[in-house]
Amino acid sequence: MFNYKLATNIQRTFIYIVLSILLIVTIVPIWLLIVNATRSTTEIQQGLSILPSTHLIENYKILLGKGLNLPRGFANSMFLAVTSTIVTVYFSMLTAYGIVVYEFQGKKFFSNFIVVLVMIPMQLSIIGFYQYMSKLGLTDNYAALILPLIANAGAVFFGKQYLESMIMQDLIDAARIDGASELGIFHLVMMPLAVPGAATMGIFAFVTSWNNFFNAFILISSIDKYTLPMLVQTLRGDVYRTEFGAIYLGLAATIVPIIIIYALFSRYIVSGIAMGAIKE
Amino acid sequence: MSIAKFKRNYYGYFFITPFIIGFLIFGLYPVYNTLALSFTDTTLMSKNADFVGLKNFERLFADDVFMNAVKNTWLIWILNFFPQIGIALLLSAWFTNVRLKIKGIGLWRALFFLPNLLVPASVAALFFAFFSFYGPVNQFMVRYGFLPEAMHYLQSIPITRGLVIFIQWWMWFGQTVIIVMAGMTSIPIALYEAAMVDGATASQMFRRITLPLLKPILIYIFVTSLVGGMQMFDIPFLLTDGRGSPGGSIQTNNILMYMKFASSKGHIGAASSVGVLVFIMTSICALGIFYFLRERDDTVVIKSSKKSLFKKNT
Repeated sequence: MFNYKLATNIQRTFIYIVLSILLIVTIVPIWLLIVNATRSTTEIQQGLSILPSTHLIENYKILLGKGLNLPRGFANSMFLAVTSTIVTVYFSMLTAYGIVVYEFQGKKFFSNFIVVLVMIPMQLSIIGFYQYMSKLGLTDNYAALILPLIANAGAVFFGKQYLESMIMQDLIDAARIDGASELGIFHLVMMPLAVPGAATMGIFAFVTSWNNFFNAFILISSIDKYTLPMLVQTLRGDVYRTEFGAIYLGLAATIVPIIIIYALFSRYIVSGIAMGAIKE
Repeated sequence: MSIAKFKRNYYGYFFITPFIIGFLIFGLYPVYNTLALSFTDTTLMSKNADFVGLKNFERLFADDVFMNAVKNTWLIWILNFFPQIGIALLLSAWFTNVRLKIKGIGLWRALFFLPNLLVPASVAALFFAFFSFYGPVNQFMVRYGFLPEAMHYLQSIPITRGLVIFIQWWMWFGQTVIIVMAGMTSIPIALYEAAMVDGATASQMFRRITLPLLKPILIYIFVTSLVGGMQMFDIPFLLTDGRGSPGGSIQTNNILMYMKFASSKGHIGAASSVGVLVFIMTSICALGIFYFLRERDDTVVIKSSKKSLFKKNT
């Protein structure tokens, strides 16, 4: 019995060591980024530090001085992410509700089709999409990034899984007896009940939009419409070559909002990931 | 089914109509348009374009650039995917082990997942800064004597490739851990109890119970990771010069497509042909894995296993 306990303890210690190493690998790059955003270029060149310094404002001034409009990029990214979130959540919940609540012909086919769409790399049609948008005069327009989210297969799949786990047929029937319209039931009965699921879906939609570089990079051309990931790309230019503190600050500005959101909602996010995958 | 109910079910079509319209306009038509463009010599500059048949595709296969991009993409994906799954299986096995009682599982998982949420463009620019000549990695290596003098990491093919693989792994292993662990906790504990009564060892239980019942989840991870991996762009694009340097070693499918699109004349016909080929390759692999590896009754096994065990015991 003693040996068994000892063996368990040794194994447990070993596991905690492995976990700690993984944690260091995970956190150190992010920590160094945030610390370096507060240090001057001279300090950064002198060596590593794991403690923040006092040059945050100075770095910010250098960044703006070089013509990088960080507040503008921030506002653009925020606008795009919020609009994308609303469009994704509303239309995906609408579609998912239609699949879950009604028995119509072709329902099975449509749900399988959603799963197939999740597995198809739609992004590879970006060139055809670009040319089509330019014919419609929608290039360099956020509409080209927002409207496609009306048909977001991944979000519909998630919404379907979520709504199936809620039992609401009785409530729907009760609302019908009270004379509510079908669309009214969706808005007034289902939506309030599905808030936790909608919130999870919304967080993912927000992060996806916030992080999106490729599509925006191809579709958006004027500099005052640049989103934060696109500004990051300009940070790689020659103007900033030696301004390390300012570069780190620019990068930190793109990821700190996400870290804050994660700190607030990590429970939703972690359970949301498992939900998209399981039960299929 | 009553008439009223039958009529009401037509509302199903009403609810899915916006999705279908959105899909036709913003999903299906661009795919068709990309395919149509791939048979032409359209550029962004010229108004008139000619049908050139398979010429774009012939050109892609004539030089090594395209095959090199496909090879790079697969290499980077495979070398980051298997360590991901390996770590995920290991950590999930530890986290779900009742004997070990690891503390703070939720916190560990949440922290490991964090890199996945960060802006990939910023992550790439961050690692570029870390591994640049005057960056902190060189400072550290030289100061503590690991290297005699500073080196240009991003001019070395193995180091740059390794770095892309590492970043991809770093960003995705946390998510894989969460999904695999959710799959493991959904396996009924009664199966393990029964196996223990029969004298099975831990590794036997892992191979005979855990892995087979995890199969649907593993296929899901495999397919979604493959689809994402084949479209890898942000990290290799921003880690070096945007052309997959050094020596085209991290030039992926999407970087090649972008380079053709952004070339001085804007050869969107040629760029489309890259998109079409990668689209076909990825879809065949993803749907193939999904339909051939999946046993249709896998999920039923999990649901019914409790029942059948119970029956056996009585």
